[in-house]
Amino acid sequence: MSRWIRVVALVGVLALVAAGCGSDDTSSETDGGGGTETAAPVGDPDSPPITEIGEGEGEVNIVAWAGYIEDGSTDENYDWVTQFESDTGCQVNVKTAGTSDEMVALMQEGSEYDLVTASGDASLRLVYGGTVQPINLDLIPSYDTVDERLQDAEWFTVDTNGNGEMEHYGVPYQWGSNVLMYSTDAFKDVTPDSWSVVFEEQKLPDGESNTGRVQAYDGAIYIADAALYLMATQPELGIEDPYALTRDQFDAALNLLRQQRELVGRYWHDAFVQMDDFVNGEAVASSSWPFQVNFIEGTGERFLSVVPKEGATGWADTTMMHTDAPHPNCAYEWLEWSLNPKLQGDLASWFGSVPAVPAACEGNELLGPDGCQINGIDNFEQIKFWKTPQADCFKGDGSTDCVPYLEWVTNYVAVIGGR
Amino acid sequence: MSDERAGLGLRIAAFAVMGFLYIPLGVIVLYAFTTQSTSFTFPPPGLTTKWIGVAFGRSDMWEAFRLSLLVGAAATAVAVLLGGLLAAAVYRSTFFGRNALAFIVVLPIALPGIVTGIALQSTFNQFEIPFSTWTIGIGHTTFCIVIVYNNVVARLRRMSPNLVEASSDMGASGWQTFRWVIWPNLGTALLAGGILAFALSFDEIIVTTFTSGQQKTLPIWIFSELFRPRNRPVTNVVALFAIVITFVPVLVAQLLTRDPTEGGGAIMAGATTERSS
Amino acid sequence: MAVNAPMTRGQRISAFFYRHPWAKPALLMLPAVVWLVVVYLGSVGAMLRQSFWSLQEFTGALDKTFTLSTYEQLFDGANRDIIVRTVGLAATVTVLCAVLAFPLAYYMARFATPRMKTILYLAVLMPLWSSYLVRALSWRQILANEGMLLWLLRKLGIEGVVDVILQAPFLGGTSLISSRFSLVIVFTYLWLPFMVLPLETALERVPKSFVEASSDLGARPRLTFRRVIVPLAIPGLIAGSIFTFSLTMGDFILPNMFGSSELIVGQQVYVQQGVVGNDPLAAAFTFVAMVVMLVYLLLAKRAGAFEAL
Repeated sequence: MSRWIRVVALVGVLALVAAGCGSDDTSSETDGGGGTETAAPVGDPDSPPITEIGEGEGEVNIVAWAGYIEDGSTDENYDWVTQFESDTGCQVNVKTAGTSDEMVALMQEGSEYDLVTASGDASLRLVYGGTVQPINLDLIPSYDTVDERLQDAEWFTVDTNGNGEMEHYGVPYQWGSNVLMYSTDAFKDVTPDSWSVVFEEQKLPDGESNTGRVQAYDGAIYIADAALYLMATQPELGIEDPYALTRDQFDAALNLLRQQRELVGRYWHDAFVQMDDFVNGEAVASSSWPFQVNFIEGTGERFLSVVPKEGATGWADTTMMHTDAPHPNCAYEWLEWSLNPKLQGDLASWFGSVPAVPAACEGNELLGPDGCQINGIDNFEQIKFWKTPQADCFKGDGSTDCVPYLEWVTNYVAVIGGR
Repeated sequence: MSDERAGLGLRIAAFAVMGFLYIPLGVIVLYAFTTQSTSFTFPPPGLTTKWIGVAFGRSDMWEAFRLSLLVGAAATAVAVLLGGLLAAAVYRSTFFGRNALAFIVVLPIALPGIVTGIALQSTFNQFEIPFSTWTIGIGHTTFCIVIVYNNVVARLRRMSPNLVEASSDMGASGWQTFRWVIWPNLGTALLAGGILAFALSFDEIIVTTFTSGQQKTLPIWIFSELFRPRNRPVTNVVALFAIVITFVPVLVAQLLTRDPTEGGGAIMAGATTERSS
Repeated sequence: MAVNAPMTRGQRISAFFYRHPWAKPALLMLPAVVWLVVVYLGSVGAMLRQSFWSLQEFTGALDKTFTLSTYEQLFDGANRDIIVRTVGLAATVTVLCAVLAFPLAYYMARFATPRMKTILYLAVLMPLWSSYLVRALSWRQILANEGMLLWLLRKLGIEGVVDVILQAPFLGGTSLISSRFSLVIVFTYLWLPFMVLPLETALERVPKSFVEASSDLGARPRLTFRRVIVPLAIPGLIAGSIFTFSLTMGDFILPNMFGSSELIVGQQVYVQQGVVGNDPLAAAFTFVAMVVMLVYLLLAKRAGAFEAL
């Protein structure tokens, strides 16, 4: 046995020595993430952002969702990169990420990427982590064409240095709402009008219970969907913002989710897996994105979607710029280009989302005259857009009444695991 | 070893397991030709060969393919060199820390890939090494070294030390012994290790996810294709293509190095420990 | 050889190595050792160091003071579940792989002609060249409610079998794909070649003389199998199981496609590292995975598994 002690000890010593030799500088990356200390270094809002766009650096690196930045190689009709590259001389390099987790990790680990198309559940985390910098809107002439309702949205426009002025930490790109997708095989010709079909056990129009045939999103942000449902069914809880939940409200939401666990066959993580599940009869009702609804292969009207009466959560993606972006000029060029109406329309058609620039809905061949309607542009008012839950209930006053995102994740993981 | 006949039960069981291995491959082939493009149902509504054209027309696929080949070749080459040297050193000598070393060497394979991936990623970040083909290569080389090492050590163990003694008894210098006695034996082991290392590097996705920058190796390309389910059969075609294309060199390597009595060949020369993804 | 002739350069080098026997292996090893220890172990060590830090609850800021509180979190109900579930899954997969691999490996080692052996060997190796993702996905077509397996069972009229499986305590669920059963099957399928190959090598080493001696002593084939062959094959089993175990524990892609979404260790590491930014917890889980594997490796070494390599 002593031989083994020697072996293990040697390995341990070697590991520690080697580890110790690494620099001690890991603190620069993972700071904050919900903190509201006004003294915390947050994307340095006090130093003036770039005041003019200089010479292009020749390239720009973007972290994006798959399908957000197309250069014609998947389908030659969908290309909004080639023209940008020839106009500005900035070569576009895309790193696709599958989840918000990945995006945050990629942006935080080093400063290799200039831009990221962050969803609302990640954007505040990037802001408060000091990973992204405020944008000088004077350099983005097309910013006025952005949907007014998005221009100062709270998931990327915050007053970080307490001087009373809001800084914009990005440029809106696309948005969409979560919808209730359902199978007409199970619902016959009844249109479900409430999220209860995924939260409460019941018999569906085809005569079978919904147990095991329901899905839910496997991201912790889904707790907000439960909270949204409770806003309608248990108003006495006093929930006003499904992302700012006090301890009691949070526990109520978790209880609802535990109840839902009995009904869920599987939590969906990837769009294509969910589509497969629906097509193969594994699931008949679930929260979903228009992306799946549009692309699901069925026989015409087999899978439909609706925004139930309680409303829905939604996501809005914002292109944000790294604090130490290596190619800031090209990055600004791209930010301006990203608001180009044709790009916005083409992308909306490709992705199944809604353009951040409403003018893009008109006259786009690929999108068609009804594209924006189909993708849900009329649902804006009913949507509660994703944002990272903060301990201070988004009040910026250092209070800790609300449950921070860290706990959302740990608790949701537990619920999915059956606890 | 082959003068007995296996019982019928055993033969059925063995081939049933083999069938189990190949049924999903059959499914892959089937759906490479389906007419559906986003979700697959069974049975497929129709068959078509158009996806082959679509797949081969994708320039990004070819780039990913080339990158995978490049990284695989480089990682394998370095691994063969370092792993071979390491095995030669460890095999014959005893020194302090030898056991510990043998232990450490197995770690890149025994520990889950996500550990290697995250660990390397944070090291690259700390030292501000930009993610590139080089960093992918470093990740792959790490576990490739282990595979080559294991193969060579296994072969060296089976080689009788008497051979070396006999050779020098007959007057050969150190170099001659190496060139005419040791090397021919090692050669097949290195080849076997190299082939396995290449196979694993080619299909590796977990470590690569963490150590790559903009670059896409073939598995990463496939993964990102699956995220936007248009032309889904394309990934099936590519997977099929990968097998077909690697079948020939592997078969050739096997035939070239076959021992007529044992029927082994490079693949079997101690090709025991592997690792994947 | 004249005693007083001056040495050639080659002879001088040989002499040096003769007098300093440690030099030759040291030189040979140096590059690989540097790589493995400095690059690999160093990275892993640096990552593990983070597990002794913690994340402040409200701000999410990284607190670098030494603490064991992150490890304490591992004992929370949900985290404990994850660990137990993962180890259980890995063990099930390993056992199933061993059971399936044995007939094939045994046949290959003992009864196949040299030509057959080559063919079989290649056949086992070939699936590894095809994409792991695509192979895994093809199982969705097989196991879906309207997929191949159920189609076949319906044709044969025995689809009740599926209901029985779904009622099973640990493995069941509401449908095949969302049950743990499917996760076990897919993992077993993917890692099977890694069990077959070392097992085959180990079985090949069983000397025929042992088997003959055993039957000479009066043992029937089954007893010979149990008492002579299986124990000698154990090192090969263990070598193969090292991989089925570690590959299952670290996977974070398959559980998104099969099973009922309960996390296993690999996913937990991935999730905690991401938006949550809880690197310390991710590192702590990694440590757990490492410990499990290290214990396993030590046991394996004891059982002589490394002799089979």
